[in-house]
Amino acid sequence: MATLEELTTEATAEIEAAKPLYKQVNNERLEFSSADYDQAITDLANSNWNDQQFGYIQARQEAYGSVQDQLDMQYWDNVNGTTTWKDHIAQVKSDNPKPE
Amino acid sequence: MAGSLVKISEETVTSAVASVTLGGSDWDSSYDVYILQISGLDVDTSNADLKLRFTESGTPNTTANYDSASKVLISTATFVNNTETNQTSADFSTNIGSLVDKRFNSTTYIFNANNSSEFTFYTSENTSMDSSRLLGKQGGGVFTVTSAVDGVQIIGDSTNITLGNFVLYGLKK
Repeated sequence: MATLEELTTEATAEIEAAKPLYKQVNNERLEFSSADYDQAITDLANSNWNDQQFGYIQARQEAYGSVQDQLDMQYWDNVNGTTTWKDHIAQVKSDNPKPE
Repeated sequence: MAGSLVKISEETVTSAVASVTLGGSDWDSSYDVYILQISGLDVDTSNADLKLRFTESGTPNTTANYDSASKVLISTATFVNNTETNQTSADFSTNIGSLVDKRFNSTTYIFNANNSSEFTFYTSENTSMDSSRLLGKQGGGVFTVTSAVDGVQIIGDSTNITLGNFVLYGLKK
């Protein structure tokens, strides 16, 4: 896992490579000011940090499936003595690990 | 009966920009509720999303005072909750594919903008497609600063905005 400092270094390089960047304010297209570039680096680093630290939450929510589907799995596990639901949850967690 | 939406400003993006700001010198403070309509927005990085900030005296406020909560409706997967607190910008959009047929469209209501003793709230609903799925998003957020805001900035999150029409309306009393 990268630290926020490391992500900031990466973001600085990325923004440098992307220059020039522009903003549109009231229909006027202007190149970024020095402060805008600094903010873009901060924003990019924070965005990558959030993805790294918390991206797994959304990925897991999508992959778990609906409550109805999970209940159906649990029902058939009970009927058949299988572990489909438990295996499914374990697989989703393993595919989308929580950062250490 | 006259229409109840009064257009305050309109911006059209035709060349890549990292952000779009409406308001500031164009702001008309005579409304209680504002509506920001975005249509046909495209980005140059596939599956990127957008952030929102409010401006004070024309300058975007970048302090960690944005909270948001929304539900993402996905055509082929379980719906997802998005919640954030104390961020430097508000989580605004679903992921946007960068293909011509997958553009982003949105309507946002803004409340209490001119009231310097209350927080500024917004509700938003938007829709787009990522690489293959239809995504809808419905929710809202709050800028937890007791100040008057005079505009809104939409920012590409790790992307440029390459196309789009932005219209800011006041809702007539």
